Amino acid sequence: MIPREVVVVAEHMAAELSDVALETLACAHELAFSLGWHVTCLILVDDPKPFQALPLASDRTLIVTDPALGSFNPAAYTRVLLHLLKDLSPRLVLLGNTSVGMDLAGPLSIGLGAPVVSGCTRVRAEGERLLFTSKLCGGKLLAQSEVRDGLAIALLMPGSYNREIGMLDRVPRVDVQASPVPLETLPLRFLELVEPKMEDVDVTKVPILVAAGRGIQSRENIEAMESLAKALGGAVCATRPVVDQRWLPRTRQIGRSGMTVKPRLYLALGVSGAPEHVEGMKDSELIVAVNTDPDAPIFDVAHYGATVDLLELVPVLTERIKALRGE
Amino acid sequence: MKIAVILRQVPDVVEELVIAADGRSLAEDEVTYITNEGDEHALEMALILKSRQAATVTAVGVGGDEARDALATAVAKGVDEALFVPVPFEHRGDNHRLAAHLAPAIKSAGYDLVLTGVWAADQLDAGLAGLLAVHLSLPYVGGLTSVAAEPAGDKATVRKEFPGGRLGIIEVSLPAVLGIQSAEQPPRYASVSKVSQAKRTMQMKELSGPLPNVEGVHVSKLMKSETGVKAEMLSGDVERVADGIVRILRERGVV
Amino acid sequence: MCPESLLVDAEGERVLDDATAEFLRRICELPAGEKLLSCIQCGMCSGVCPLGYAMDYTPRRMISALRAGRIDDLYRSDAIWLCVACFNCTFRCPVGVPIPDRLIASLRVDLLGRGVGVPPELQAAFERTFRYGNPFGESPKKRDAWTRDAGIDVPILREGDSAEVLWWVGCFGSYNKRNQEDTIALARILRALEVDFGILGPDERCSGDLPCTSQGETGLFDFLYHHNAEQLGKRKFKEVLVGDPHAFNAFNKDYRLLGTSLDVRHYTQFLADRATELKRKMKKQIATKVTYHDACCLGRRNGEYEAPRILLETIPSLKLVEMPRNRENALCCGGGGGANWLDSYIWQRTRVPLPMQRVQEAARTGADVLAVSCPLEIPRFEDAIKSSGLDGRLRVREVSHMVAEGLGLLGGT
Repeated sequence: MIPREVVVVAEHMAAELSDVALETLACAHELAFSLGWHVTCLILVDDPKPFQALPLASDRTLIVTDPALGSFNPAAYTRVLLHLLKDLSPRLVLLGNTSVGMDLAGPLSIGLGAPVVSGCTRVRAEGERLLFTSKLCGGKLLAQSEVRDGLAIALLMPGSYNREIGMLDRVPRVDVQASPVPLETLPLRFLELVEPKMEDVDVTKVPILVAAGRGIQSRENIEAMESLAKALGGAVCATRPVVDQRWLPRTRQIGRSGMTVKPRLYLALGVSGAPEHVEGMKDSELIVAVNTDPDAPIFDVAHYGATVDLLELVPVLTERIKALRGE
Repeated sequence: MKIAVILRQVPDVVEELVIAADGRSLAEDEVTYITNEGDEHALEMALILKSRQAATVTAVGVGGDEARDALATAVAKGVDEALFVPVPFEHRGDNHRLAAHLAPAIKSAGYDLVLTGVWAADQLDAGLAGLLAVHLSLPYVGGLTSVAAEPAGDKATVRKEFPGGRLGIIEVSLPAVLGIQSAEQPPRYASVSKVSQAKRTMQMKELSGPLPNVEGVHVSKLMKSETGVKAEMLSGDVERVADGIVRILRERGVV
Repeated sequence: MCPESLLVDAEGERVLDDATAEFLRRICELPAGEKLLSCIQCGMCSGVCPLGYAMDYTPRRMISALRAGRIDDLYRSDAIWLCVACFNCTFRCPVGVPIPDRLIASLRVDLLGRGVGVPPELQAAFERTFRYGNPFGESPKKRDAWTRDAGIDVPILREGDSAEVLWWVGCFGSYNKRNQEDTIALARILRALEVDFGILGPDERCSGDLPCTSQGETGLFDFLYHHNAEQLGKRKFKEVLVGDPHAFNAFNKDYRLLGTSLDVRHYTQFLADRATELKRKMKKQIATKVTYHDACCLGRRNGEYEAPRILLETIPSLKLVEMPRNRENALCCGGGGGANWLDSYIWQRTRVPLPMQRVQEAARTGADVLAVSCPLEIPRFEDAIKSSGLDGRLRVREVSHMVAEGLGLLGGT
């Protein structure tokens, strides 16, 4: 069998590899190990130092440097990646299904003439064919696609693989080289990275979270959630739609473009469980979900569930908890 | 400033999704369509830009007949032009094909900004926005929550979302394609009578012609997600469920 | 017809600006709209309005502002969205000015038309009602899912079918889990009385009264009307029985005006006609003190105060006590006029929410049960009971539920 190349385009921010990058490495490693394939972890950055000694689960770490690669500029990344990937000639390119990976998917697909599969939760090989499992339509559908031969590009959903397997106990061979293409005149210019204002609660540090989804139906029901959260000694967080409605600040948003949390208890109320949200909370120790739709995808990831009306349940539950605490 | 907004029709998940007999697609007569949420936000973003400076907005409705309704709603909300792009059922989720199909018409119209949702609930290949940008040879960035265009019309400053609530502020040379995550305010309302009126009076152009023979991804199997497999369901009325939850929390030492 | 005398003075000079004049012209074209011009500025409306204290422009002042040509002030005012359509104003008005249904509604039409200042929860209710035929955004195919748990057979009338009585269930009764219990209770009562009835099932769409009339979404109301009228036309029936007073109001008033005349009754009226039979069939004693809350849409709007009381009195050992504000003086639960979706908007601007005032009034009568005849009132009053600390002292029950209980029809699905 000809050993084939798997390239992981590793996302990073603030001098650290993102969790999704490690998960993607775990996926690549699992695939490559069984097939005898070779994994390159590709990092595009301005300063290579924070990444040179990482014990990544790749056979090689290739760090490509240029001042223009200091922050994620899709135009710069695309230019470099198109050149590098044509050279490396991989069978599979893995990216995170994130706001970074999604910017690159289209240009890479057309530029390299390769199909791209997004929303992947699983990548397998069957003989020469690569098989991808993806979630669609708010997590209600599963699609299996295949790429028989030639280059395939896949975007992996955060939380699909165990990021701890993205690291091994030795540092692979590390190569550092400058960008093979000039990155001066680019149509995009990265001006500034803004950290979220943290005057509000830091939901990543709260051990008990009560999550409000679209099922809470209106703003004034947030108050009942707050009472429950208070009784439990925790805080209220929310899915994207609730935040988009301005019912809670963005700092409370859990999911793809919000926070990733791992609390002791994640009480999901009126949350459907769309993958974009689940990726932000699926590692919670205990997930209890309440949704009147018995087919809601949240029940795939929850440990316990109920289909009662959450607006009826919340006050009753609050009273029970308060009584327990002797209030 | 000339702005185009692409409104894709995607399957409405409120209705139950039914797999077709071929096991690889949805059953056509069971699907109802709704405008992709990201595209609604892109439309709102375009209208906000129009309110701030002189601009014309063209709404491009892509899909089956529901796309016409989406265009009427867009006109009721204030767009200046409507273009209907009919797409046969089996290709409605194929962004590679759609991008190749839309590109010539969009290129010839010479837009300064092309806005659409950064992703769609039914997509399996790459996002339409990014693919379209390549066909148009225009810069692209997505995941945006705000767009501010310079009065001179040659640049725009956008805010791109990163995980953890971080925002990247990026300057984009125009013309460009932008993938919208959410608009600066929730999509506005168009009253039913205004939409009906728009339906009667709007002049809708249509992009005719067959779709190019480009395939995004080959789907070998489509299934409904197995649900309830993991969660242990608590039964009974509200009182019993509350008791059940309290019991679980106590067992796990949470309370 | 809006008289020119209002628009120009004795010298022929324009008195009102174009916007106000246009507005008045439009109102005068609506049924009973021209009564607005006969307002004598007595202030009864503002006095009886349960939220008048929180309005910068009370109904009287709204009319006065229009006469002064200051419609822009009204557009900017919050008062337009505070109206809960309880109908107290029009009921008391010596002239009968149709305030919620024409004045407030027309102001909202304008604001909706511009797409500005529309509270987002209401927007979502409109969008869902348009798309799915109910304000909850549930699939229309699931509208009759409640029948599976009814414990009895509930006939669904398809095109061409017939029944003596067409039972219009309504959105809340169909989809809301709490209200479904009462829908099932009514189904069982109808079965026990051997009524030949059927429901439209998935072909039924929102009647439009609750989210639309007096909301300004007249376009949506018309859209729903056309669908519903067509569906009704495809079945054969003698009369229509309505579970929800808002739908009853829509059929009794607006549908008639639009050309669909139905022999329609609210379920309390239908059952009250059979009070003797019900009394005979009663099996259980319900020795409780009950006070009845008059629903605005049944009471003030359509003049029905006695039927629900007659029904309650068929139940053995039940003692009926009255709240001070009863019948035409009843205090609205605050859910009408789209306010069911505007609660947080309204509560930010008012002192004590209406449902809380009402349950406190009910508790003061010494009653154990607050009986209601409108599905909205159940969740509103049950929440208010919890917020008022009256949990355990007062229960809310739909009249149909109590009647079914007395007949021994409840228990086990």
